[in-house]
Amino acid sequence: MPNITLSGVAKSYGGHDYAVRNLDLTIPDGAFMCLLGPSGCGKTTTLRMIAGLEQPSAGTIAVGDRILDSVEHGRYVPPEKRGMGLVFQNYALWPHLSIRENVEFGLRMRKVPGPERRARAEEALRMVHVDAAMDRYPSQLSGGQQQRVALARMLAINPEVLLLDEPLSNLDAQLRLEMRAELKRIHEESGATIVFVTHDQLEALTMATDIAVMNQGELQQLAAPMDMYDRPANRFVAEFVGSPPMAIVDTGPEPGGLAGSLLRHVAARAECVPAAVGIRPEALRFGPPPAGAWHEEATVEAVLPAGSSWTVRLRILDTDLYAVSYTPVDSAPGDTVTCWTERMHLFDADGARIAAWDEAGVAA
Amino acid sequence: MAVLTKAEAPPPPPGRRRLLYRLQVLRHDPTAALGLILVVVLGYLVVAPLVAVLSDSARLQYGDEIHAGQRPGEWTGYYLWRVFRSQISGLLFWEPLLNTLVVAVGTTLFALIVGGGMAWLVTRTNVPGRKWLAGALVVPYMLPSWTFSLAWLTLFKNERAAGQVGILQSVGIRTPDWLAYGPLPIIVTLGLHYYPFVLLLVGNALRRIDVQLEDSARILGAPQRTVIRRIVVPLMLPALSSAVLLVIGRVLGTFGTPYVLGLPADYRVLSTGLFQSIRDRSTGVASVIAMVIVAIGILIVLADTRMMREHRRFVTVGGKGAMDRLSDLRRWRWPAFALGVVVFLVSVLVPVLTLLLSTVTRTPLDLSTFTLDYWLAERLPGAVGFPHGVFRGSELWAAAWNSLRIVGLASIICAVLGLLIGYVVVRGTAPRVAAFLRQVSFLPYLIPGIAFAAASLSLFAVARGPIPALYGTTFLLILVMAVTHLPYSSRSGIAAMTQLGREPEEAAQIAGASWWQRMSRIVFPIQKGALVTGIILPFVSGLKELSIVIMLTTTGTQLLTTLSIGLVDYGYTQLANAVVLVIALVSFTMTYLTQRLTNSSLASGLGG
Repeated sequence: MPNITLSGVAKSYGGHDYAVRNLDLTIPDGAFMCLLGPSGCGKTTTLRMIAGLEQPSAGTIAVGDRILDSVEHGRYVPPEKRGMGLVFQNYALWPHLSIRENVEFGLRMRKVPGPERRARAEEALRMVHVDAAMDRYPSQLSGGQQQRVALARMLAINPEVLLLDEPLSNLDAQLRLEMRAELKRIHEESGATIVFVTHDQLEALTMATDIAVMNQGELQQLAAPMDMYDRPANRFVAEFVGSPPMAIVDTGPEPGGLAGSLLRHVAARAECVPAAVGIRPEALRFGPPPAGAWHEEATVEAVLPAGSSWTVRLRILDTDLYAVSYTPVDSAPGDTVTCWTERMHLFDADGARIAAWDEAGVAA
Repeated sequence: MAVLTKAEAPPPPPGRRRLLYRLQVLRHDPTAALGLILVVVLGYLVVAPLVAVLSDSARLQYGDEIHAGQRPGEWTGYYLWRVFRSQISGLLFWEPLLNTLVVAVGTTLFALIVGGGMAWLVTRTNVPGRKWLAGALVVPYMLPSWTFSLAWLTLFKNERAAGQVGILQSVGIRTPDWLAYGPLPIIVTLGLHYYPFVLLLVGNALRRIDVQLEDSARILGAPQRTVIRRIVVPLMLPALSSAVLLVIGRVLGTFGTPYVLGLPADYRVLSTGLFQSIRDRSTGVASVIAMVIVAIGILIVLADTRMMREHRRFVTVGGKGAMDRLSDLRRWRWPAFALGVVVFLVSVLVPVLTLLLSTVTRTPLDLSTFTLDYWLAERLPGAVGFPHGVFRGSELWAAAWNSLRIVGLASIICAVLGLLIGYVVVRGTAPRVAAFLRQVSFLPYLIPGIAFAAASLSLFAVARGPIPALYGTTFLLILVMAVTHLPYSSRSGIAAMTQLGREPEEAAQIAGASWWQRMSRIVFPIQKGALVTGIILPFVSGLKELSIVIMLTTTGTQLLTTLSIGLVDYGYTQLANAVVLVIALVSFTMTYLTQRLTNSSLASGLGG
């Protein structure tokens, strides 16, 4: 199975407002690609363009050598001929058809003969565990079951590309967890390429093999989940991926307080002068600092235990920031503790990440 | 591994390629093409007639060359002069205009007093049998509006017009002309038809007012009278102004009642004047009058929307607090109930029984002359034009079949058009097309039916380009009837499609369904309910429609309503009454069943 390539894809709804601008993206065969970003960033538009439901204003979308959309070449393949599967955010089950008929619909369109059609529909429904409700109607099912039927409807046609538009956002927390595992299993079993749209960074980190972060219609970074977490390309990605978000301290023209303290530490070891310094909450540690680590006295403002981890709000010099600890924290609000870190992210004035500084010195 | 490549912005693709791409997209998704087709169809059926009637009013017609001193087809102010400033303009226009205003104001007052009072009674008091009254008092609106005028004639007619005299006259009480014909009977009979309209609008508004608003005023020390004057009436103003304007608008375009009750006394209103002008083949004058009616109709609806906007800030929030607390009428409970029953008797039972009685007795009120001849006789002596009972011969059946066929087809066209308009609007690929469809499909709402029919005559009476003259064809009737009901069906079509959203269709598209398959297997099956309602509502309303069809029917295309009016013209009172009873029965039964089956509101979809 070939790669999906988007090159120079742009989408405007008339005027100069672009929903997506000049997007270059290659989705490798068999990937579980997550399009991640805040609402209105163009991720759903991108997905719909891949599906063919919307047409780009410029650029080319292709699967391998097969051009699906190209304004430049004047080629367009309609959604019904692309052979992809798409699960909608609100599932979009057809209310006038039974569950079985919903799942069989795509096979019917492909003129699959009756017995095989029934067998494949049943198998798809068994795969998502709703084969017992086969002869009911969508309105008689719970939200989770409807979601599974939508998935089965897509799986029944065995598409090589599965597109999912925030399919888990209407589910409750328990079901969402279950479906994440389910989707990951389906991805592994079917070997299909999955493109998944979400605004939930945790969902992206847990499921995807590749994440594309988008903001305001532009691709911010394309990387494997942990690469993205460890080496965010810019401030937007750094703040969007991770919870609680990375604390970023602007240095400003006359850095004082926390900014001054961090900057002095960096300047002694690196050659660049960053415009901002970021620290991930779990990189901020308590206790006696190892040699060479940045450290500072901090006042504990609040401790928020969450069972397996402890989130602590600290005041360091003039700045509030969060730390996450995976060992019990026995400080009380008002206590003074020493906190230290060996890993910081350095950003230039444009917000691009220039380096990470850690115990091994300046790293890429 | 994923690869990220940064590229410069690509040069814009050449125009020809871009066009090729657009064409490819269009070929696979005909929504845009469908939208354009609908634009052309609506432009032709809604906008073109109005342009044609405007042009007819300003260009010299054949036959008027000598009077105007111009050649046919030239631009002229002759008709404007003739209607507004000439010696006969009083007869042609000013007098009918004045009469129309008198009738409109009178009818509105009548409907407001009866409808408003009854609305208060059934929504805010503990009158016995509220539920029954609330249902029963709406029945007059389910009957054709001129049912009442025929009943009136049956009661009060004197020998001034042809046909059998009324019941009063026949028992020896002379009925003066002012009681038998003219403004008084028109106002009373129209008022009886339209008061349910006020009752529904005002009743709904009363139900929505939060009783706590009144209680707060009372706690602050306001006496009951002040509460009504300072709190209730201002809150009711939007509903009241809406009711007033809509009743005036309806009265403006109503034809049957002023025709039956006004013409014998030469009492003309704009609608009958327009009809007369068209019958006299003075097209130019008719066009001017039609334009005036259109203008007044548009003004009324604009005024209504403006008032509604102004009053929007009055909309009371939180229906939750609107407790169903009722005023205790104490010893007036039963008198109030009696009053409600009297209104029901006068507006439903008396007219219907009068009509029924007149069709089963040879001499009014004399039960010894009981006969079913008017219904069933094979030969009726004395009635040359219709020499048998209504159920005999082919006339009634032919007219019923015509009504069924024409109104049925019109309703189906109307409902399908409405859904297609909704489809194009919701798909939203072309915002301008959507806006045009939304507005133009609503345009007929502004225009009284009779004026729209006149406008359609202007356009379709002669062959234009490839379209032959359609006057006298059932096709024209179907088209005009479908278009006049389009505002309701397009609104409900847009609502239904908006509620459905576009995902179900997109899901089918992804699953591999072509456009036809999507429409026939997904969109229309899901919208089955909306489609059925969209057919039934115009159908029920179209069955009793007279003002539109009276202009367009010929002897070849007689409908039930025009048959009944034709019998009135002949002076065959009993036969006319019998036919109108048939219409009333069908119309009432269908409305009742529709409401039962679809839970639809009567006020939302039925024209008068």
